[in-house]
Amino acid sequence: MKRPVVWLAGALAVLAAIPFVFGPLHTNLMVRLAIEALFAVSLNLLLSYTGLLSFGHALYFGVGAYGAALILTHLQGIPILVAVLLSALAAALVGLVLSPLLVRVRATAFTMLTLAFGQLMFVLCSKFREVTGGEDGIMGWTTPPLALPGLFSLDLRQPVNIYFFAVGLACLGILAMWFFTKTPMGSVMISIRDNQKRVDYLGYQVVLTKAVIFCFSGFFAGLAGAVYAVFNNLVSVGGVLHIMVSFQPLMAILVGGIGTFFGPILGSGLLLLLEEVTQAYPELALMISGVIFILVVMFLPGGAISFGARLRAWWRKRAYLRKARESEA
Amino acid sequence: MNVLQTKGLSHHFKGLQVLFGVDLQVRQGEHHAIIGPNGAGKTTLFNVITGTYRPTGGQVVFKGQDVTGLAPYKLARKGLGRSFQITSTFEKQTVFQNIRMGVMSRRGIRFDFWRRVAGMDGVTRETEEILAGIGLVAERDVLACELSYGKHRALEVSMALSTDPDLVMLDEPTAGMSKEETHATVELIKRLTKGKTMVMVEHDMDVVFSLADRITVLYYGAILASGTPDVIRDDQRVRDAYLGDMEFSHAF
Repeated sequence: MKRPVVWLAGALAVLAAIPFVFGPLHTNLMVRLAIEALFAVSLNLLLSYTGLLSFGHALYFGVGAYGAALILTHLQGIPILVAVLLSALAAALVGLVLSPLLVRVRATAFTMLTLAFGQLMFVLCSKFREVTGGEDGIMGWTTPPLALPGLFSLDLRQPVNIYFFAVGLACLGILAMWFFTKTPMGSVMISIRDNQKRVDYLGYQVVLTKAVIFCFSGFFAGLAGAVYAVFNNLVSVGGVLHIMVSFQPLMAILVGGIGTFFGPILGSGLLLLLEEVTQAYPELALMISGVIFILVVMFLPGGAISFGARLRAWWRKRAYLRKARESEA
Repeated sequence: MNVLQTKGLSHHFKGLQVLFGVDLQVRQGEHHAIIGPNGAGKTTLFNVITGTYRPTGGQVVFKGQDVTGLAPYKLARKGLGRSFQITSTFEKQTVFQNIRMGVMSRRGIRFDFWRRVAGMDGVTRETEEILAGIGLVAERDVLACELSYGKHRALEVSMALSTDPDLVMLDEPTAGMSKEETHATVELIKRLTKGKTMVMVEHDMDVVFSLADRITVLYYGAILASGTPDVIRDDQRVRDAYLGDMEFSHAF
């Protein structure tokens, strides 16, 4: 129990120091990382823990983002945290509404169905101009400060403040999901991934459990979307509902390490770093990330997070072989 | 008293009739074996009883309640546990985690996401007791897929029992085992099902005669004979049905 506490305290201290050590540019990069990581971990709950590949997770991200944009535009004076939580709840609700259909299918059929729902929402939001602003999206609302009346008031347009807002929410969300995987229901979730039939015959309700997982995953994807909206002060179909928004966290999971909890966070960081490095050559960026993706899938199927273990195994093997050769000689 | 009773149970797959009005009776506390040549409908009978398929005709009565066509998870909660002919465990999880799933279900811990499962001392203790009972303590933290075949099968059978069911149904518990493994599994089943009601499908006649108090012979989807092992052994119709089946004739 002692060691994790030390780790956690260390990580929190580093996170708290970042905005004061780095400039606003890199602080903003960390905000994007927080959003991406939260989003990727919520998708990973489906992919690595329930064994379901979703091609439409942007649906929840988009609902959260549009929810926050609409609430902040039309309900002036609402506390920012309430707005963000309501948006995340809206995404969870979408998960609940779709779950009667989603729980019925598995494997490829599930993937295709999520793709269809994701694209459906994209088209709906493009066409429903009166509410969503169509292609232009929603922008220009005034984001209220993060405030407790009489105690403090933080202007979220300040990089430092939005940083703590985004990173704080992302940490809480990721921690909640991590805890979820450790609970009895988390065990049921993992067991559904491994053998749905057996879970059924042991007396667990597979369908209802999956529905709860969809809500849960949708909630945190929506939370990420809402933070995105607050951070960018702009929500458009291209930015939050496009199919690439669904693929981005999928890439992060595969590059970071599928089947692990923290891999997607590492993957999000690596992809963002790559994007920054190749920023000067935008036409090359996609190609480079594509090549890296292929290389990881082919040569490091466990993702970047498995790199250390692979290196250690290789080193041990080398040492063993050297010893064997010496004893032979 | 009958724990399980089927009344005129019949089933067909897209026109292929597999069960023709089966009246099976399983009494409280007995160890009941269902035998029959290949294709007699033994596994189908198992599947319509345990909720895999809804039977196309007839009734399943479990503990006095009509449970025909009830979903597997509902039957499991009513106290019916089953194992599978093809080993069906959580292969990427440890033996401990496999059994713990049964223990959690037994205690009704299902939609619980505000406590850590590792912190539930009662569940952990009970799981470890079961592991001790089935002799897999040394394999506690081994992944199920890394177990030897015999031990993996033993885990399969133990999972059916881990929910503490009133009736346990074992589908060919010793399928594919070596002689030594079969012997060990028979001893394990004997020990674990003491005082419990058990129904099993089995091909190995040595296993059947060392475990069963009563035997039902299924032949082309209907019950040919039902009775104590001695009665079945001497039944001429059973002998005729099995004529030419080396394994069976050998057992007599």
